[in-house]
Amino acid sequence: MMMMMMNGGEATEAELFLNCDDMSVLERQRVQLNYHQYHHPGFEPTLPCFFPNSSKMNVGEVDSFLPSAGLDLPEIYGELHGDARISVSPGNITTESGNSKKRKFGCVDTETKVFNEKKKMMMMDREVVVEEEEEEEEEEKSKVTEQCTRSIMKMKNKAKKEQNSCSNDSSKVTKDSQRTDYIHVRARRGQATDSHSIAERARREKISERMKFLQDLVPGCEKITGKAGMLDEIINYVQSLQRQVEFLSMKLATVSPRLDFNVDEIFSKEVVSAPMMNLPNTVMPPHMMVNSGYPHDMVNSGYVHFNPMQQVVTSSDPLSCFNNGQSATMWDSDVQNLYKTPYPDDMEMVFIYSVFIKGHHTYFEIDESCGGVNGTELYPDVKYMTVSEFLDTLL
Amino acid sequence: MASADKPINTDVPEKDVFALHFLQSLSNLRRQNTFNSPEKTNDRVKKIKKAAYVSMARAAGGTNRLWSRALLRRAAKENNKIVRFPRRKKRVTCLRRRSNRRDPVEEEEAERLRNLVPGGGGMGTSKLMEETAHYIKCLSMQVKVMQCLVDGLAPK
Repeated sequence: MMMMMMNGGEATEAELFLNCDDMSVLERQRVQLNYHQYHHPGFEPTLPCFFPNSSKMNVGEVDSFLPSAGLDLPEIYGELHGDARISVSPGNITTESGNSKKRKFGCVDTETKVFNEKKKMMMMDREVVVEEEEEEEEEEKSKVTEQCTRSIMKMKNKAKKEQNSCSNDSSKVTKDSQRTDYIHVRARRGQATDSHSIAERARREKISERMKFLQDLVPGCEKITGKAGMLDEIINYVQSLQRQVEFLSMKLATVSPRLDFNVDEIFSKEVVSAPMMNLPNTVMPPHMMVNSGYPHDMVNSGYVHFNPMQQVVTSSDPLSCFNNGQSATMWDSDVQNLYKTPYPDDMEMVFIYSVFIKGHHTYFEIDESCGGVNGTELYPDVKYMTVSEFLDTLL
Repeated sequence: MASADKPINTDVPEKDVFALHFLQSLSNLRRQNTFNSPEKTNDRVKKIKKAAYVSMARAAGGTNRLWSRALLRRAAKENNKIVRFPRRKKRVTCLRRRSNRRDPVEEEEAERLRNLVPGGGGMGTSKLMEETAHYIKCLSMQVKVMQCLVDGLAPK
């Protein structure tokens, strides 16, 4: 017995039990409960109050005690509740030793389950506790003959088996409970319950969930029922998108001679190294866009704007801003680099990006306090739209 | 178990990011001599298309998505470059064999989808769905960007 406990790695416990011979029953319980305390932090706050009336524990107390002990036992606790009572009141068991064995096995049961509930404390721990329970039993029967101890050994083996099976069961149960947190796979009547079928069902459920997600993405896919049809629709959509990309690249290829893609190093380096969010603001200040004189309908030469330096810049002369050395010096150094490059060849890409993608002609603040006039206010009878709205009409 | 059930994440960056990457790769194309020289439009179309896909993969997925990894890898292979991506935690190559033996009807459709989505060959069905969702989002975004460009540049 001692060897077993030493195997359990609890030297202190062994010492305690070495002195057990000259202890009263109550003291032994105390030692044991201390041990419990040590290994079940959850029980700590209320356990000491067990001592005075441990033999007279009534069920109600235990009931009220368990939830208050800070254990977050889910549903499983409800199932095991009857057993749990037994496990918490060892005093009851030891004092009435008539049919304590049976109960103790139940006790072992719940111990292991409770342990599983408490996030799988180490296996070693659990074994130690089980052994300890058995030890208690052994102590009780210490005055019985050798035969008796042999039978106890048998019982112990049995108990171990039981414990093993029970731990398997309980681990399964906890796994199931974990799983039900995420996917609700429950075997209905007539459904197979072995792990393979459950896994398969979970997998299918996952797929159908993704499918539903895809269904929301693909237009015209809501009405179709059945996975095959849905997949068909999805495939068609992907194909159409790919064809669209091909078509558009064809169009771009024919258009591209008109477009000078020869963007200087500045663009590729500065733009890419800059963080994405700040990019349009640093590289393409709004007033520059306006003064670009880009031949598009949206560029109205009548606009009056402020640049961020609070200088009024009119767009009558498209190159005024670029010839204006003063404004150039006031910009950040990386934007200054932009000015050094020849104007029309290298800036086109930036303008295209700004005009067509960002719509900088319309999305900027006009500072009223400096006498700026919002162009949209000048002509109230004209219906204005944003660039993206305008572009959307073309789609 | 828990890791497999994380919520489906198919967030796609803004349109600007796509546009930026696309324009950049277009300008890269322009810088190449072969692109400038008078040649068949067919070649140019191919190049632009490839640029569109690669820039899309760069903009959206990077190396985090299976489809974008496959696209980038394929593009690099065409350029005879060897690329090394950070290895993913899970190897998915064995999944296909396993999933082949069930759901014959559904699996046939999924097989077609696998051929469409880049890198789909090594995916399990549920992963394929997730990647497809992301791929569709990115594709539609790219189409929008290209449409904007074409509309803006088309002769009036």
